[in-house]
Amino acid sequence: MSQTIIKQHIPREELLASGHLACPGCAAPIAMNLVLKALGPETMVVLPACCWSIIAGPWPQSSLRVPLFHTAFETGAAVASGIKAGLASRGDTKTTVISWAGDGGTFDIGLQALSGAAERNEDIIYFCYDNEAYMNTGIQRSSATPWGAWTTTTPTRDPEHHPKKDIMAIMAAHRIPYAATASVAYPVDLVEKVKKARTIRGTRFIHILAPCPPGWKTQNDETIELARMAVERRVFPLMEVENGGTWRFTVDHPGGSVEEYIRKQARFKHLTDDQVGLIQEQVDARWEVLSNRVQHGT
Amino acid sequence: MKKVMIGNHAVSWGVLRSRVEVISAYPITPQTQIVEALSDMVADGSLPAQYIKVESEHSAMAACIGASIAGTRTFTATSAQGLALMHEMLHWAAGGRLPVVMADVNRAMAPGWTIWTDQNDSLSQRDTGWIQLYCETNQEVFDTTVQAFKLAEAVNLPVMLVLDAFFLSHTSEPVDVTEQEDVDRFLPRREATFKMDTSDPHAFGALVRPDAYTEMRWHQQEAMREAREVFREVEDEWEAITGRRYGAVEAYRADDADLLLVTSGTITSTARHVVDQRRAAGEKLGLVKVKMFRPFPTDELRGLLGGVNRVAVLDRNVSPGRGGIFAEEIRAALYDVPPDDRPILFGYVLGLGGRDVTPAVINDIIDNTRSKASPEREDLWVGVEL
Amino acid sequence: MSDHDVTRPKEIGRNIPPIAISETSTLVNPTGSWKYIMPRYEDRVAPCNAGCPVGIDIEGYMYLISQGRVKEAANLLVRENPMPAVTGRVCHHPCEHSCNRASLDEPVAIHSVERRLGDMILAAPPIPAPERTRRETVAVVGSGPAGLACAHFLARLGYGVSVFEAASEAGGMLRLGIPEYRLPRAILDRQIERIAGAGIEIRTSTRIGVDIPWSDLDVFDAVFVAPGAHTGKDSRIAGAEGNEAVRPGLEFLKEVNAGARPDLGSRVIVVGGGNTAMDCARSALRLGADVTVLYRRTPREMPAIPLEVREARDEGVGFEFLAAPMAVVMEDGRFTGITCQRMELGEPDESGRRRPVPIEGDVFFAPADTVLTAIGEDCDLSFLPESVRTKWGLIEVDPVGESTSTPVFAGGDAVDMPRSVADALGAGKRAAIGIDHYLHEKAGEAVGELPLGALRFGDGNVSAVRYLEDGDPIPREAPVNEVVTWDRMNPHHFHLAPRHEDHFHDATDLRAAFGETNFGLSEKEAIEEAERCLNCGVCNRCELCLIFCPDMAISRREDGGFEIDMRYCKGCGLCAAECPRGAVTMTREGI
Repeated sequence: MSQTIIKQHIPREELLASGHLACPGCAAPIAMNLVLKALGPETMVVLPACCWSIIAGPWPQSSLRVPLFHTAFETGAAVASGIKAGLASRGDTKTTVISWAGDGGTFDIGLQALSGAAERNEDIIYFCYDNEAYMNTGIQRSSATPWGAWTTTTPTRDPEHHPKKDIMAIMAAHRIPYAATASVAYPVDLVEKVKKARTIRGTRFIHILAPCPPGWKTQNDETIELARMAVERRVFPLMEVENGGTWRFTVDHPGGSVEEYIRKQARFKHLTDDQVGLIQEQVDARWEVLSNRVQHGT
Repeated sequence: MKKVMIGNHAVSWGVLRSRVEVISAYPITPQTQIVEALSDMVADGSLPAQYIKVESEHSAMAACIGASIAGTRTFTATSAQGLALMHEMLHWAAGGRLPVVMADVNRAMAPGWTIWTDQNDSLSQRDTGWIQLYCETNQEVFDTTVQAFKLAEAVNLPVMLVLDAFFLSHTSEPVDVTEQEDVDRFLPRREATFKMDTSDPHAFGALVRPDAYTEMRWHQQEAMREAREVFREVEDEWEAITGRRYGAVEAYRADDADLLLVTSGTITSTARHVVDQRRAAGEKLGLVKVKMFRPFPTDELRGLLGGVNRVAVLDRNVSPGRGGIFAEEIRAALYDVPPDDRPILFGYVLGLGGRDVTPAVINDIIDNTRSKASPEREDLWVGVEL
Repeated sequence: MSDHDVTRPKEIGRNIPPIAISETSTLVNPTGSWKYIMPRYEDRVAPCNAGCPVGIDIEGYMYLISQGRVKEAANLLVRENPMPAVTGRVCHHPCEHSCNRASLDEPVAIHSVERRLGDMILAAPPIPAPERTRRETVAVVGSGPAGLACAHFLARLGYGVSVFEAASEAGGMLRLGIPEYRLPRAILDRQIERIAGAGIEIRTSTRIGVDIPWSDLDVFDAVFVAPGAHTGKDSRIAGAEGNEAVRPGLEFLKEVNAGARPDLGSRVIVVGGGNTAMDCARSALRLGADVTVLYRRTPREMPAIPLEVREARDEGVGFEFLAAPMAVVMEDGRFTGITCQRMELGEPDESGRRRPVPIEGDVFFAPADTVLTAIGEDCDLSFLPESVRTKWGLIEVDPVGESTSTPVFAGGDAVDMPRSVADALGAGKRAAIGIDHYLHEKAGEAVGELPLGALRFGDGNVSAVRYLEDGDPIPREAPVNEVVTWDRMNPHHFHLAPRHEDHFHDATDLRAAFGETNFGLSEKEAIEEAERCLNCGVCNRCELCLIFCPDMAISRREDGGFEIDMRYCKGCGLCAAECPRGAVTMTREGI
């Protein structure tokens, strides 16, 4: 066919039900859907505070067709470690235990528990779906918010000062067996990575870019396009790193100007052309760093 | 099997006998020997448990919660700052109705930095929904550890067993460690009422709106009420096996007393000694030991303290802005006793930050209680030298 | 104590459990109520379908091939185009000029795929002749592509058809005008045999108005006139009249295509820039001459199929642009060549092309042994009754092909100027449908108006399959008869893949070599080409909509299509935005 026959690579079993409470056009349920399909029904999900705490549905509902444990904000990796230990103590080493957290619960408040679990090489898969701010509480900045972005705590007169925290470098520094980035616009790449992660023992970390229409100030139907452009323009390259040392890119990144990507999002509306140019420089510089890692390892 | 051991090891032996399946451990003085001994037991294979060396106490409780919702028996131990750090998760365990058992070695809260005993750490957590059991001896520590699992799993509430820093944790006493087969008969493998199960998937802990939250709290409160009766049954069974029981509350030489001391923790042993001495001199003095602080033994205390002329509550703790916590709760419990039966209650705050409570101190307290018509203030601080 | 006991929460009928443990799925939330816009699967028309003058569901047969259903693909093709082995070779393929894939990398080589399917059909056993279900008979004048197509479809519609052909063999321009190296005789013969064998009678050597009078046709219930255009226009070269060295190119072609190999001498000039000129040039080359094509405008204005021009060049034909012939030059009674006028381009004429303007005084001599003129053809319509009106040498017809004199219909080169095989085929099909509709009406059957719009692919030609079978063989979802342009497509999901180019003969030695020069593609290559088709506007079940729907509101229907559960669809529009081929449309209707 003229395109990749995606359906051949995406498992059919539906483990996520409609009627969940995500905003229209939200990437988070797309990500969850693909991840659960790749993992299958022998999966347990730990869900610290994030948009998905609401998306999953209030009691007495659940949108997931696998067991789900809602937990406190910073505890995703720790609770998952406990569940995994519990299952192991009763002889179950097959069930996959995952933590499903947002960027706040990963980059900020949840970083300690994640680091601890990673250092112990806990046998869990940690997923961070990243919409680049505390979206559930109304769009406040996190350390995943990109430089220059508007959020309610980085208003346009004083937008985000700091570049996005390099979580992949942090996870690589823990030398965990597998870490990867993924994007909802590349479903086959995402599914393949999750399937691969599932076969590995130890701590696995997958960082998924999840554009957010209300938070990024974009149209509901632009989500996939943004998730694609971020990869193509090298803002969010798709890669994987094994044992913290061997890096590889998993798709082509044609490059090109980040301007179109930035200008599509009204959270960057206040940026001057010079500032967009600075972002381009940042992206280019990081690409050099990443390319170097791919070439020479860390 | 009788062994001489420090209080911390009594906890470890209790955990071993209870066949705990998942242990999460973060060290803090003076709890460290609990988890160190458990680490040895796991390493030498005598305790086939999963042992997670977490990176903070908050994660320690989070990991226990995970292990518990996976349907297994789980344990951790901590003290003071660590207990305070996991405060949020204590609510989660209790509200989640998970039978986690935790040993808290009572240590005073910083600042100033301290490692010595008082009860502020555990009592700061009194509203989290945990059952709290205070121990007087290392034997009691061992017994209570094993009983805690049975109690917790019967009512689906987490249980905190409390022992004084250094006075119990690091002090050697003889402990009769019940045989494994006997404990196994008493405490079988945990069969969880609800758990994460891929063959029957559910979501736990989702958003609860105002129209249902109250009911869930009601269930929790009802479970606390049941816990009183269940504890009695648990002690019945334990007594049948070991010959030992402690009671939620113990009355010592209280029957005809006109003055009752109310104590908890190791102060109780010292107080017993003073009671015996003064009884020998003809004084009608008695002692009430409070073991179970949550659920609060209101009926028992009303029964024991109502109609007594004077009561002296010894609080190794203080709630700033109020006073001794046991005293405050006992006053509240006695409010509904007919006015004529309400004792004159003297609340003493003492022993904070590990300051020793000697027989002399207790004697002074008794003398002061007898000599005053009524207390000058709600909280009578002992031995304050400015 | 009041009725309402405030000391205990209400217990009756609520059954609140001790913990928040889920009891239902979120399917109880009708989140579809959130939307203010909703998606609909609406299949539209691929531009190739609309661009094809014959009216073929090209996108449809490409889809079938990509699904491994090659026989069905061939079947679909041949039900719209009765001679695909011919068109696959000689058609100027406007479908490829419309192909959206050109905006991605290169257009699909539709003609190559059609040719392979056509050859496959010819190699397979013929289908049985259609049943004669109507008592009416129709006469068809001319057995070129228009006449043959009309006859073929009329036979399928159940009529008795008689075709009258002036020449001794059927085929019209296909046989007379197109050389063998483009269209091998064997292929043409077999193709005509197939058409003739399916229920029509062809009477050759029967010229209307000469061999039989027009009035002989009165016995038929309708007549389709497609006499073609066979009279070469006068080149107005001074001194050419009566000079054997200056010949109409079409006459030369007829000779050669009938098997003759005339000696044209060693230098030949061909005047003209259309397909006939290219055919003359390449045929002359094969007869051993050095050939130069003289054209009064530039390559851009040449009406010939670009591939033909390229092949001519590759074979060694020379080109002289911006030059027009003036006069014959004789030396000692012998023809030595022609004088030519240099031209430049001026303002555009009525065809839209820039008019050639002579450059005063700039004249040159072009030596030649023979000059072949191919500057256009005229029709001989003298045999038509006056009631059939003509204008500027062409028969006037309405959109379906009916002339001003019922029941005479007309089509092909005698009607309009595209002068292509495809347009002729399309006209024949259209007229057959028009005739059928007319005859039903005449027989008193209630047929209503002919739904030409619905029968067309977009604004292209009509579909016989839709007319005969009352619908598209490949089911369309809520079809909208609009062409899908590139801006409706989402190209990000497509792979770049270079187009397979036809395999050509080695152009080095062509003397007397009239064998086929273009061998087309192998079967594997043709299938790969079909797989390059983007299926514009028509859902090909790629399932991207299903995967990208954040609400899992899209599910597979048993018949292979998709269903959107409006109880849950929030109207985000991602399905429409990501559909690679514009087959999902957002609408406010029905909200």
